[in-house]
Amino acid sequence: MRRVELPFVPQVALLAAAGVLGGLWLLARGMRGYATATQLGDTATSRIATLAAGEVQVSGVIEPAELTLISALQSSPCVYYRSTIGPAGEYPEVAHEFEEERAVGFRIRDQSGDLRIFPRGARWDAPMRYDDSTGLMGDEPPGLAFRTGPAVSTAELDRAAAIAALTTLPTSPDFDPLAILGGISDRYGRGSGQRRHYREERLEPGDAVTVVGRALPFGDLADPAEADIAEGSLAADDPEVSGDIAEARAAGLLAESPEEAWGNAAIPGFGIGRPTRAPELDPAADRSALATATEAAQAAARFSIAPETLILASTPDTPLLIASGVPQVAIGRQQQRFIVGLLGAILAIGSAMVLALMIAGGVSR
Amino acid sequence: MTPASVAAAFAVGLVLAILLFLAVTSYNAVMSLRQRIDKAWANIDVVLKQRHDQLPALVSAVRGLMSFEQDVLTEVARARATYSPSEPIPEQAVHAEATSRAVRSLFAVVEAYPQVKSDANVLDLQNEIERIEGMIADRRELYNDQVYRYNTRISTLPTLLLAPLFGWRSREFFAADPSELPRPATDL
Repeated sequence: MRRVELPFVPQVALLAAAGVLGGLWLLARGMRGYATATQLGDTATSRIATLAAGEVQVSGVIEPAELTLISALQSSPCVYYRSTIGPAGEYPEVAHEFEEERAVGFRIRDQSGDLRIFPRGARWDAPMRYDDSTGLMGDEPPGLAFRTGPAVSTAELDRAAAIAALTTLPTSPDFDPLAILGGISDRYGRGSGQRRHYREERLEPGDAVTVVGRALPFGDLADPAEADIAEGSLAADDPEVSGDIAEARAAGLLAESPEEAWGNAAIPGFGIGRPTRAPELDPAADRSALATATEAAQAAARFSIAPETLILASTPDTPLLIASGVPQVAIGRQQQRFIVGLLGAILAIGSAMVLALMIAGGVSR
Repeated sequence: MTPASVAAAFAVGLVLAILLFLAVTSYNAVMSLRQRIDKAWANIDVVLKQRHDQLPALVSAVRGLMSFEQDVLTEVARARATYSPSEPIPEQAVHAEATSRAVRSLFAVVEAYPQVKSDANVLDLQNEIERIEGMIADRRELYNDQVYRYNTRISTLPTLLLAPLFGWRSREFFAADPSELPRPATDL
């Protein structure tokens, strides 16, 4: 029997170990994709007009409800975004220097009608709309337009606001918008010499989307305002925090109304646009312009939905799945992930073999 | 254990884990599909019952105004009487389709009677039944789509391998065989 010696090379061993871990990560991602593809593929698409309560799949075009979000990296109106900034040239990006994920309620329209979606707790499969890095000379990539104002906006811009948006430069040369995005410019901004990688996934009004979830009457929704907004960092999802809130509610420690709890902040439009009624301000403070009657009516109508009207929202047993594209496209994307996952398994097995042989010092033939 | 045997065990374990995952996912998918089919059928049953309850009101409303069209009214009443929720799905599909045809004939006849058509009560009932007919059509489509997905899944890999183990069989569509539908009387 002849023995083929295989010397232990730390760099190769490290690469093989990374191959095992990376392969397993791809496999796990592929398995999740397979499960999602199965869920999408096994649920028939309902027409919105004749929707029945229970688990359903609907497909259509996104229409904004009363509010839209402004994305963090490109300032685009959208109903969902996930923006990340990380060091350029590192794959996969495990730790982001900046990460923000937000969603707001929207409508989905098909040929038969429209349906309100309350996105809190949803799983998202949104397209990557922006993926670029700082240039070698430190120049920022084209298309990067940091959000400099509020993160939410009314869905319909008035004429004056639209003209202002078109005729105003978003930033001044001295202004560092990264400071707004969590103050990361101090440790990671310009002059640090480090290149950044910007990525933004978004779903915008007009995008085709497929939603799987539970249709339930609006009246069954415990807290529409909470269900309408999803923020990655919202701590209320934490069971311990929820427990504390329930305890405080039982002890009567919580305020009876939003006005009592938040004061001016409970007025729709306050701080993010034009408030619908006059806030109580310090006499020296600048008076903000009040909303027009149309805007006030729009804000008041935010949840004026008949209790029996069906809406889509996450429930504890059925989280919403919101995927970009018509069902076939969304399924195809997930199946592709599964195939990549299987290749990941092959990579993990191959890497494990190499690692084992190096540790054993060779193979006997 | 040598490092090589650990690596071999890792490879075998990973392959087994993938196979187990596919088996569990397929089983769960079939169970979910069966639940969805049952739910889709229950949703059809609800609207069939609604139509069954609404038809007498429509027939009563138009009877006095259309005394010369007793054949059409009798046909609607006869078709309505065949509704039986305990029947197998294909038979129910035949009866549901026959009732829809009878209702369509009635609406066509109503068009010829302007005084009937303009009656507010008749108009309301007609709109309501048309809405229900639309819902029946949509939900039948959804049910059949769900059955199609189920039948396809249990007849394709990897679920095909599990089907004999668990006794999964194809489900029937909610569709009337044209040969079983009553033919309109024609005089040549």
